[in-house]
Amino acid sequence: MDLSQPYFSLFELPASYAVDTQQLTARYRELQKQLHPDRFASASAQEQRLAVQYSGFVNEAYTTLRHPLRRALYLLSLAGMDAKAVAGQHIDGGFLMQQMELREKLESFHDLVDPDTVMEHLLAEIEADWRELEGQLAQHLTANEIDAAATAAVKMQYLDKLRAEAEALESELLER
Amino acid sequence: MALLQISEPGQTAAPHERKHGIGIDLGTTNSLVATVRSGTAEPLADTEGEVILPSVVHYGESGEVLVGRKAMALVSSKPFDTLQSVKRFMGRGRADVGSDGYRFVESEGGMLSFETAAGAVSPVQASAEILRVLALRGEQTLGSNIDGVVITVPAYFDEAQRQATKDAATLAGLKVLRLLSEPTAAAVAYGLDSGDPGLVAVYDLGGGTFDISILQLQKGVFEVLATGGDSALGGDDLDRVIVEWALPQHGIEAPDAGLYRTCLNLAREAKEFLSEHTEVEVLIPGQPTLTLARQEFEGMIQALVLRTLRACRRALRDARVEASDIDSVILVGGTTRVPLVRASVAELFGREPLSSINPDTVVAVGAAAQADVLVGNKPDGELLLLDVIPLSLGLETMGGLMEAIIPRNTTIPIAKTQEFTTYKDGQTAMAIHVLQGERELIADCRSLARFELQGIPPMVAGAARIQVRFQVDADGLLSVSAREETTGTESRITVKPSYGLSDTDIADMVRASWEHAEDDMQARQMAEQQMAANQLLEQLQAALDADAEALLSEQERAELEAEMQALAVLRQSGTRQKLKTAVAALGRSSEVFAARRMDASIKQALIGVSVDTLDSDGGLG
Repeated sequence: MDLSQPYFSLFELPASYAVDTQQLTARYRELQKQLHPDRFASASAQEQRLAVQYSGFVNEAYTTLRHPLRRALYLLSLAGMDAKAVAGQHIDGGFLMQQMELREKLESFHDLVDPDTVMEHLLAEIEADWRELEGQLAQHLTANEIDAAATAAVKMQYLDKLRAEAEALESELLER
Repeated sequence: MALLQISEPGQTAAPHERKHGIGIDLGTTNSLVATVRSGTAEPLADTEGEVILPSVVHYGESGEVLVGRKAMALVSSKPFDTLQSVKRFMGRGRADVGSDGYRFVESEGGMLSFETAAGAVSPVQASAEILRVLALRGEQTLGSNIDGVVITVPAYFDEAQRQATKDAATLAGLKVLRLLSEPTAAAVAYGLDSGDPGLVAVYDLGGGTFDISILQLQKGVFEVLATGGDSALGGDDLDRVIVEWALPQHGIEAPDAGLYRTCLNLAREAKEFLSEHTEVEVLIPGQPTLTLARQEFEGMIQALVLRTLRACRRALRDARVEASDIDSVILVGGTTRVPLVRASVAELFGREPLSSINPDTVVAVGAAAQADVLVGNKPDGELLLLDVIPLSLGLETMGGLMEAIIPRNTTIPIAKTQEFTTYKDGQTAMAIHVLQGERELIADCRSLARFELQGIPPMVAGAARIQVRFQVDADGLLSVSAREETTGTESRITVKPSYGLSDTDIADMVRASWEHAEDDMQARQMAEQQMAANQLLEQLQAALDADAEALLSEQERAELEAEMQALAVLRQSGTRQKLKTAVAALGRSSEVFAARRMDASIKQALIGVSVDTLDSDGGLG
């Protein structure tokens, strides 16, 4: 197995942001059924070592392609833009302002009378923005506009982080 | 003669001869062993008909070691020499644990040891004694040698605790096929594959550890979606609550070790009694009787139960499912007999949990079933288990922060590489500090290992490109290597947690544990090498028979066979060292063939996918 091949070819998928997750998952399971170290637990040491390597590669490839943001960053890296270059993209002030406002909302959460409804709205807002950015990202990638695609990816990173924080806060509310 | 021996695969062991695998549940309070006989996995009893072996080890002055009930009888008279709940101390340092009525000594590398009449004893050594007794029971019941063992560990066990468990098995002379998570083993035992597809939650509250795992079963693949828990929360803590309730009422503030340990065992009995009755009398020797009502007990343990429920909710969140999505809930571990625990779990998941298999034996039974598959009796076993690491693995970065390389709940095995750079001009070395945990500050994470990459060519800050590679195997054990890309300077270690044993330590202990003379030891080492040679020849011959025609050129095949013949001759006449070298060399020579075989099976796998095997949970992402 070629451990330097692009993740997409491992699953025989086209290298694009839109992914057929059914095919991805089905092939993932078939590959693991053949390669998992459990299949080689009583085989030779060489085969066991290869199984750990191969199976680990398949897991990393699968996890990367399954998660939208990681898939986006991976596509950018295939196009020659590493994580550092992505992070250095210029982001317009309007987007940053909006992020700050959302963040302020999060911070004032503990004082709200009805935090649940506000949280629900906030998560819906993040979700809508996310969908829009996903569309932009896919379009720019197809058109080979790598800088613009990277900008969309960075914005998605912001939203991803915000969403994680919102969800953490939501569970904190649940525990009270 | 040698020629004949290798061309006939049946020479060393018939290809379909049944192999013997056992499953061991190495528990905090109790341990047991199970195996598959006549197609059914069942726990094995000792000569007195007892299936459960109390996880208690006694070390006498003259060096004698007692395990189980006989050791248990000495708890109050010899508290310091009689070790209970050693699982709580596996892979732990002095700072991690309370006194628990023991005398501790800290040995080199921060590893914890108990001070006993027979000298310092580490938790790893005590666990090895328990494993030895159980493996012997397996051998005696099966009437043959054991080919391999699956040992269960709490899903929430970290790297150090897993490594300590594996060290104990090595010390006991066992071949570990796999360290298997306890909740996963329980799910296997329930054989839920009939209800495919489904979401399963396993709530496992044992003597000293708590696990919650969310698993998804689909198309013969059992995938752990998320796991959570607390490797220092269990029935022991409920017992302690009772002791802390009872002692002040008798005006006892500082009990001696013997009394404290006696009280803990009395408390455990009281707790068990309360699962069946509404009140219990607690009688501490020499003191008036106290009465504890179930309701009062439940009030005292409420906070602990809530802690487990919080972990359940986090695991559900990590798995991205709702409690109401769960199709089956399984209860594992003796502590789930406590009515408040059962009721709380039922309420959280909105359904009655399954407990039709004895919660004390279910883990060993599942481990035995998996051992049977892994040892090679069912090479195409229907079920594939995909497990995860419970805690994030990462590195210390500038400012004492932890940067996760492999986040928690990542499916294993996994390999990941991340690039780092130097922060000073002319920097020629880089310290790599490997950590595990979820917190941001390194002080709040567990330190697993430190090593240094040296020989980086002097460059301006930020110019060096250092690739750090993390690889976690199917047992959840980590190895880390670092490489400077521009020059190829490399440094590699298998992580030995700071509180673990070094390989030399283990080798020394194994040697010391052999009471035989030097030649016996050599004979044993020779036998081991012969066994390794046999195994390799057998495996390779089977592989050649199956695939040589398709995958090897005439010349490649002839070269391999020549080397195999040479090894077969050495096996009879060679020295141990020569044999060892030859086994390693043949292993290397056959690597290309092994890789081609695996590639062929991948191709097979991909061709085998057809539209009707695709899942229903997909869609465009």
